[in-house]
Amino acid sequence: MPSDTSSSISGDDHSDQFIEDQLASVTLAEYNDEPSGSANRQANGVVGGSVNQSAQLEIEERVQSSSVEAEEVGQVRGPAEHAVVWGRTVSELEMDGSSSPGSSGYAGERGSSSATTGSAIDEVVQQEIEEARNDDTVEGISDSQMSWPPGKQHVDEDDASISWRKRKKHFFILSHSGKPIYSRYGDEHKLAGFSATLQAIISFVENGGDRVKLVRAGKHKVVFLVKGPIYLVCISCTEEPYESLSGQLELIYGQMIVILTKSVNRCFEKNPKFDMTPLLGGTDVVFSSLIRSFNRNPATFLHAYTCLPLSYATRQAAGAILQDVADSGVLFAILMCRHKVISLVGAQKASLHPDDMLLLANFIMSSESFRTSESFSPVCLPRYNPLAFLYAYIHYFDNDTYLILLTTSSDAFYHLKDCRIHIEMVLLKSNVLSEVQRSLLDGGMHVEDLPVDPFPRSGSSPHLGQHRLPTDSTERLREPYLGIGGPAGLWHFIYRSIYLDQYVSSELSSPINSPQQQKRLYRAYQKIYASMHDKAIGPHKTQFRRDENYVLLCWVTQDFELYAAFDPLADKALAIKTCNRVCQWVKDFENEIFLLGASPFSW
Amino acid sequence: MGLSSTDTSNEAIQLCIFDLRRGQNEGQELDKILFFFPAGLPFSKQLSVIGLSEGLITFTRIFSPEAACEVIEAERNSHVFYEAEPDIWMVMVVEKSNDSEPIYRDDALRKVLKEIHSLFVMFHGSIRAMLEKETGGGLIRRHLHSFIMDYLRDFFVGKKLLLPSFHDCLKERGTVQMLTIGREAAIEVQSLVRVLESSAGNTPCYSLILFQDLLDDTINLFAYAVLRLTPHALSSGASSWSYLRKGNTASNVAAESNLAHPSSFSESFYGPTDVPHAGENQYHVVRPLQHDKWSKGKDGYLVTDIWGAEIGTWTYVTPTVWLRQTEERMYLCAYQHRSLTLILLVPVSSILTGEQGVSMVKRQVIENASLKILKVEEKLTKGWGGENAYHVSGYRYLLVDGDRNVSRTSPAAKVATLTKDSLLAMNKVRQEVELEKSRAKLDNSACEKDLEICIRAKNNAWVIARVTRGKELYMVLEKGNETLLYASDAVEKFSNRYCNGAFSLD
Repeated sequence: MPSDTSSSISGDDHSDQFIEDQLASVTLAEYNDEPSGSANRQANGVVGGSVNQSAQLEIEERVQSSSVEAEEVGQVRGPAEHAVVWGRTVSELEMDGSSSPGSSGYAGERGSSSATTGSAIDEVVQQEIEEARNDDTVEGISDSQMSWPPGKQHVDEDDASISWRKRKKHFFILSHSGKPIYSRYGDEHKLAGFSATLQAIISFVENGGDRVKLVRAGKHKVVFLVKGPIYLVCISCTEEPYESLSGQLELIYGQMIVILTKSVNRCFEKNPKFDMTPLLGGTDVVFSSLIRSFNRNPATFLHAYTCLPLSYATRQAAGAILQDVADSGVLFAILMCRHKVISLVGAQKASLHPDDMLLLANFIMSSESFRTSESFSPVCLPRYNPLAFLYAYIHYFDNDTYLILLTTSSDAFYHLKDCRIHIEMVLLKSNVLSEVQRSLLDGGMHVEDLPVDPFPRSGSSPHLGQHRLPTDSTERLREPYLGIGGPAGLWHFIYRSIYLDQYVSSELSSPINSPQQQKRLYRAYQKIYASMHDKAIGPHKTQFRRDENYVLLCWVTQDFELYAAFDPLADKALAIKTCNRVCQWVKDFENEIFLLGASPFSW
Repeated sequence: MGLSSTDTSNEAIQLCIFDLRRGQNEGQELDKILFFFPAGLPFSKQLSVIGLSEGLITFTRIFSPEAACEVIEAERNSHVFYEAEPDIWMVMVVEKSNDSEPIYRDDALRKVLKEIHSLFVMFHGSIRAMLEKETGGGLIRRHLHSFIMDYLRDFFVGKKLLLPSFHDCLKERGTVQMLTIGREAAIEVQSLVRVLESSAGNTPCYSLILFQDLLDDTINLFAYAVLRLTPHALSSGASSWSYLRKGNTASNVAAESNLAHPSSFSESFYGPTDVPHAGENQYHVVRPLQHDKWSKGKDGYLVTDIWGAEIGTWTYVTPTVWLRQTEERMYLCAYQHRSLTLILLVPVSSILTGEQGVSMVKRQVIENASLKILKVEEKLTKGWGGENAYHVSGYRYLLVDGDRNVSRTSPAAKVATLTKDSLLAMNKVRQEVELEKSRAKLDNSACEKDLEICIRAKNNAWVIARVTRGKELYMVLEKGNETLLYASDAVEKFSNRYCNGAFSLD
């Protein structure tokens, strides 16, 4: 142990300054006639910056509109109409006498509670109970936002605090002049010095004609990503490999583009010292929720999306009505339940990248305001077109299920609203929304249900979870389930279809049933994913990996990728057999777990 | 005669040593630098490398005070760090030919740095101690310069410095290769060791027996022996490592110097504090890694003039080395009979009569042991299977016993038959395992890392790593069939046959 470690950082608050000085003194020595890199850029910026003044305006507008969200729009039509819409929805349900406890009737009630009646209170209570139950059981673990306070935590910390330094995973966004834009922990303004240090490191290496990607120290990795005038940095002591962390930085950058578009670059061309924080004001929740999803949502590293398990007919019904509206000038119509797709339809030739869907869904689910009323918001899809805003009409049918209609036209609100009303009517009539709630309760594929024989069980077209009564599923979770996963010690699997850009993941069950265990498992998957998909030498075909936590088996073919986690003591031969059975099982149920055919982005 | 090389391809690799405790004040930054290769690189660039390194050491300590910066990966270069002694850092910068293709493994490069430092300490003592002896830094700079330049010479192929890359993924620096011998031979060797140790009289003595090239201090001695003392090293030194070749080692040396006269090296290096031009003899720099300096004397002992001659006599000074474990200075005596090399270490403190005493011990040893030596050499030669003795058909492997620092590998010529894809994949797997191991170490986890990785690569080769109870096995099987069970069977067979079942599952 170096004896004067302490001396070099003992002046905790000054250590950033110290590093900067170290780097700066050298920079000065080396570049005598160019006192600083940023001065240079400034000069360039002036040249390039004259082109577009509207960019900043556009973005500022966007910020206003996002903070006020649809209230503005609502005001145009007046709140009365909202009430009417909701009232009708509820009454329709009552008439239908829907017995499904999770039906969409209560959906907007939180938002319009001013009209609460006696029965509505009952409903609200019931809904809360359901929510609580949902949280504890089926989806509670993976749906992170329920279990976490929204927004940033530990704002009082800065780089001098021991607690801040000990956080396992930091994310920073800063500008190329070193101005902080976002920090996962701590107050950005207090981190100005630290941010300048990060900038100094990046530009120091850049001045040497290189680009820094990774610094490793003990358990820590510092990962850098430069996107034009935006620098992103992750400092992590989790075991995630470089490839995963840099992929996460890409997503964070993408999330920023969703909110601002890439035209924010022009602001930096005009003024390198441009302060971006006000533009992102209030979007902390969006970033924190994305960061939490890195270890909870496999879509973040698989670059694929997942569907809510539904009968083929139900999904067809949803798809058909979405197709109707897509034909009327909507670019994309997406019906989602939490982070899972129910159905989605795109206008001709338009294709939607799974990463865009992930970022869009995160943007919507993390912003509380979208839940309370219908909204019309500018959003940018970075993979679709990073330079332009689309406009998203967003509406929650119930607590979990929401509709996104994307258009290129900024004045399509009323048209989209009409579309939504039409869609809602059809969905209710065809029981899609109640089916969705039922699916949420039942969950998808449980490893315990993996058929032992290679062929589907007797009886024509079995359904997922059909053999299990609804009470069954709650009971098995109420009593401590003593099972040890599926056959041959199978604990969990993820199957990704290459052509569909979709994956299906088995439900989390014992022994992977705490958030910590889930996180650990997903990190193990990330590691094996990165190892399989090495840029230079991958993709590998098969990988077997056993450590003290798991046996992981991965199988990559032209059609699919399978990731399976077993008990660390699992027998190799049996595990391989089980993997084959899983693949067969998925194929048997592909009608229910995947969105087939209709999607335009499968080719 | 200077090194007239004009080749600048060496910029692809930089190696520096700096002391964080020096040059703290502005304008004195040069004082930090204890060694820089290539020495001809402008100071501004040297300082730039060191500034970045220092900045990142400080930066990473904010989050990771227990282990500062180990590696910087940039698009074009990797910087590999090694803190050799407290606040004395060695940094190696290697250029990548292609960002996506992992040519180097930072752990393999770090082991080169480690080896340089351990060998240096074995002969010269610690860097810090030398710095304390002469605070100006001239002494240590001169020693490091000649020592490391002599060391690096081994890595030159033509004009290029070839560091361990993915081609060497089935090798492990810093381990000793043991010769597997039959029971009978083992008994002979044991008895020889006893004779050797007793013939040194009352003085405690350590011995090391090497056959051909095969065999914390043992490793260094072994490394040194293989580099400079074995018959192979002696002969290859004569044939292929001609002096002319050394001309390629340094670039931009117009201002620099002549390695044969290290004391004249860049007198302007650190200003007036450094030696004047004529100060040739101010520092006597011993260069144990110099080539072609060892030869076999009439009595069978290897002799060298590296350590100079006794004043007033023609006898060469017996080399001494410093053992870390016992913290003792030892005389290093190497005796050679055909392929057999014996290394005797006798504590300097135990021989009061200097060179005279040493020669007496040497003589005594030979008198007592020569017969045994003949016998052992004969047995070993008979039992030795040649270069390919450790080849296992169908396998390309590396077996490391971390507890004993012993390794065994497929013969290099056999490893060379593997495709580049297989080697790259193995290199990558080794990198992953290194990370897991170092993490487990930092976690101080009581249970040792137990890990099994088995990959069917794009080219259908099986790339396998097994870590269990301090032992590691890496293998590449290029002609295996596609089932995973085939691959695990192959490991199982190998384990049962060659590793006493250490990697077998039951």
